[in-house]
Amino acid sequence: MIKKFDKKDEESGSGSNPFQHLEKSAVLQEARIFNETPINPRRCLHILTKIIYLLNQGEHFGTTEATEAFFAMTRLFQSNDQTLRRMCYLTIKEMANISEDVIIVTSSLTKDMTGKEDVYRGPAIRALCRITDTTMLQAIERYMKQAIVDKVPSVSSSALVSSLHMVKMSYDVVKRWVNEAQEAASSDNIMVQYHALGLLYHLRKNDRLAVSKMLNKFTKSGLKSPFAYCMLIRIASKLLEETEGGHDSPLFDFIESCLRNKNEMVVYEAASAIVHMPTCSARELAPAVSVLQLFCSSPKAALRYAAVRTLNKVAMKHPSAVTACNLDLENLITDSNRSIATLAITTLLKTGSESSVDRLMKQISSFVSEISDEFKVGRANIWCVCVCVCVCVCSGGGGSGHQLPLPEVSQEAQRHDELPVQHAPSDGVFLSSDVSVDHLWLCADRWDNHTASSSMSLRPTLSPSL
Amino acid sequence: MDSLILEPSLYTVKAVLILDNDGDRLYAKYYDDTYPTVKEQKAFEKNIFNKTHRTDSEIALLEGLTVVYKSNIDLFFYVIGSSHENELMLMAVLNCLFDSLSQMLRKNVERRALLENMEGLFLAVDEIVDGGVILESDPQQVVHRVALRGDDVPLTEQTVTQVLQSAKEQIK
Repeated sequence: MIKKFDKKDEESGSGSNPFQHLEKSAVLQEARIFNETPINPRRCLHILTKIIYLLNQGEHFGTTEATEAFFAMTRLFQSNDQTLRRMCYLTIKEMANISEDVIIVTSSLTKDMTGKEDVYRGPAIRALCRITDTTMLQAIERYMKQAIVDKVPSVSSSALVSSLHMVKMSYDVVKRWVNEAQEAASSDNIMVQYHALGLLYHLRKNDRLAVSKMLNKFTKSGLKSPFAYCMLIRIASKLLEETEGGHDSPLFDFIESCLRNKNEMVVYEAASAIVHMPTCSARELAPAVSVLQLFCSSPKAALRYAAVRTLNKVAMKHPSAVTACNLDLENLITDSNRSIATLAITTLLKTGSESSVDRLMKQISSFVSEISDEFKVGRANIWCVCVCVCVCVCSGGGGSGHQLPLPEVSQEAQRHDELPVQHAPSDGVFLSSDVSVDHLWLCADRWDNHTASSSMSLRPTLSPSL
Repeated sequence: MDSLILEPSLYTVKAVLILDNDGDRLYAKYYDDTYPTVKEQKAFEKNIFNKTHRTDSEIALLEGLTVVYKSNIDLFFYVIGSSHENELMLMAVLNCLFDSLSQMLRKNVERRALLENMEGLFLAVDEIVDGGVILESDPQQVVHRVALRGDDVPLTEQTVTQVLQSAKEQIK
């Protein structure tokens, strides 16, 4: 821990930030104590923290000063203080691009990555791979291969992820480690599985047969990692798309089976994958939609959001597939999260029936009046939605008695030099996100003039102070 | 509708941010070039802060990106990903970060305690996300790997042996 606030800071109130008035040149001057012996770990740690804080704030370091600081930092490897060593690794990574001759730490890092302190090995690998070039990579190749299959999960993960980062630079070298990665994939650790699978895919993705075989193996062997499952689902989707696989393919069956996984993240990934498939019938969508329907009533906002967002996408192509969710969607109109509420409304507009639109309008009007100034984006959406409703209801026509001269409305819109509304036959209504207020007044007026049955007027809800 | 099949990739996180009560940056790590300059980054941070600090919903779509967030007392935590990303995965990162810090700061997740422990924060994020890849999702593992020394026992309360031991380590 760095030193606590001293009395002075206490008195200057809770707004004090020990890093607030840091000055780069002063800190770099302080860094000269790195050259002193004996090394004072506490003080050196504090200075390193300040340097990284400055870098993090976007402070610019010139090459010379960065190099000087970097070289001074290398002296700190003489200390055995664990936290200090870890901060050195971090500094190496942060300064890798701004300092010269960073490869001088290679031997220290190689020593740490093969040493006895497990706490050092993972981070040392990651720092090393940050400064390595292709030539050096070949020199440490055997250490990397050993690390990938290491029993300590943090070491294995670090090696796998670092290998992935290096694929772009040295594909040919990393490709030689595919057997080790394969072995790592049978690890029990859920993150190692995920990383190994990811690396294997990146190495093999141009070879469709290899990817297919890999998928086959992993979908049968039953991985434990929810992250790995998500990755598998994506790979399977991609393969299905590329091979134009039919929906009787085992790949599709696998994705569908993931809808019944214990982990919500996997279930959602599967539902999302099915929904995004270019050729999906309403029947095939049904299990995915029912899962999303369940998510609509989740206490977790992220899950509700993900669900309603995906349902929105389904509704664009297959509105009939979503009608079963209408009640759940209506409940979301009053969700405290505006994004969820807006998405629920726009979805309902595509899937709702004539009779439900009146009810929808009432709910929208009370919701709209609550929106305060902060949510300009949200408001714009709601305005869009209101226009949308007008047009929708109007184009619905028929027994509702709301006959609005729709072509007139569109013409008016064109006159205002914006085309926010495009009249489309059935339920296809699309809107740009900038709707002129004038146009909205226009719609509201016409709505008010023509709706004898509706006891509710739109005009008051459209505040002029947009 | 974009039937874009997401290219399978381990790269899922675009940024991890921690802002204070005034929307100022306490910590920011960007893992790709979505906002290449510091100026653009700070503009983005200001924007998302304005849109999120008054609500306690955990998720929003801002500037075409999925933003998951959590606030506590006077700190705001954000994890940013592409709008095509699995939102629950991003939440997993956010929760791991928050829970790890909560343990390290002994449940005192607020600005002052955080500023006293910045190296812990730097190391924790380093263990959770590496170059945009989720490295670890279990907060226990993260805290273990960060391996910070506990509160230092003041000199007067240590035994002579302990003092000599630390002195030896300093001199080595």
